[in-house]
Amino acid sequence: MKERNRGDYGSMLRRAFISKGVDMAEKLEVEEKPASEDKTGSMYKWEEGMDWNPVERIILERRSVRKYRDKQVPEALIRRLLEMARFAPSAGNSQSWRFIVIRDKKTIESMEKYAQLRAKFFMFWLNWRTSPLGRLAWLYSQIGIRVLRNDLHPIPHGALAAMAEGTLKLFQGAPTVILILEDRRGAAKPELDCGICGQNIVLAAHSLGLGTCWVGLVELLKYGIKWRRKLKISYPYRLVEGIAVGYPVGNPDGMVERELHEIEWYENSQWKTVL
Amino acid sequence: MAYLTLKERLLIPTYDNPKYARSGQVVIDMEKCNGCGNCAMICPGGALYIAGIGKDKKAHLMEDDFPNCMSCNDCAAMCPRDAVKVSQTYDFGRFYKILHRGGLSAPRKF
Repeated sequence: MKERNRGDYGSMLRRAFISKGVDMAEKLEVEEKPASEDKTGSMYKWEEGMDWNPVERIILERRSVRKYRDKQVPEALIRRLLEMARFAPSAGNSQSWRFIVIRDKKTIESMEKYAQLRAKFFMFWLNWRTSPLGRLAWLYSQIGIRVLRNDLHPIPHGALAAMAEGTLKLFQGAPTVILILEDRRGAAKPELDCGICGQNIVLAAHSLGLGTCWVGLVELLKYGIKWRRKLKISYPYRLVEGIAVGYPVGNPDGMVERELHEIEWYENSQWKTVL
Repeated sequence: MAYLTLKERLLIPTYDNPKYARSGQVVIDMEKCNGCGNCAMICPGGALYIAGIGKDKKAHLMEDDFPNCMSCNDCAAMCPRDAVKVSQTYDFGRFYKILHRGGLSAPRKF
């Protein structure tokens, strides 16, 4: 048996899973590791209507920060955040991400400048309110929005317009920027895995008194060879997201109101909608 | 139940027409507001501005230009006096119509 399956990892794995499943079904007893008191999971027991525990509070109080102090974040602290990313769940444990940390003020500023140039270029063709092309730009935008319906959604469209005007900066003056790259050969959904590990970084940063903001418009750096070369991005990597990190001005974190989302619920052979 | 019709799927809204693009709305409690400018400083859409002198120095919501408020509620979290709050979220017509959402609510304890 063993001889025949040598090298055939797929069937070996399958066999292992199946045999484990059968064993558990027969015994229904799993040898448990004794629960340790100091694990967070055993520290907070759920009761209905209980107060928020620290993890929930960090999740609820996280607000995107758009005004940073000049003070640089210590290197060890950023290393600590990246350590959180390393333990994020990913499809098939493929860990298909890569990080670039930029802590040089001049580089960040020139990235912002480049992004502004690109935004100006796009707005020349697509913003019918300011473009000298006028009505023609409206036509281009109608086509463009249909092709890039996520990138040119009204909100990023407005952000691009503000960036072209110069009222919005790409990283809002953050002293440290973490760029997340996706390994395009990763299992299943590498882009989603990048999002998951990024959220680990963000939540950990807010629990340590830092402020963060997701910057999806780093997309602008991908157009043109300049920054791809400078950041040494090449196949199989692709720039996905940026996270601006820094000490916030004031206390921007806090709980706020948000929209409720309808949830479809199927139970006892009946559908219901919960808000 | 809310859904997107074929016509809506095919038509892209014009972003500057208030009929198809409603930006968020903010209520400012003028008695509580002291015009410190924190909200205007962090507003991602640049929707808030400070106007007035002395006691009349208050925050105001910009009304003319779209897009401004994206109802992120950052101002509410930032305000030291709880004077600002989002009262209405943004919504778009046609293709970008928002589906399956309820009203605003603070985090609920279950």
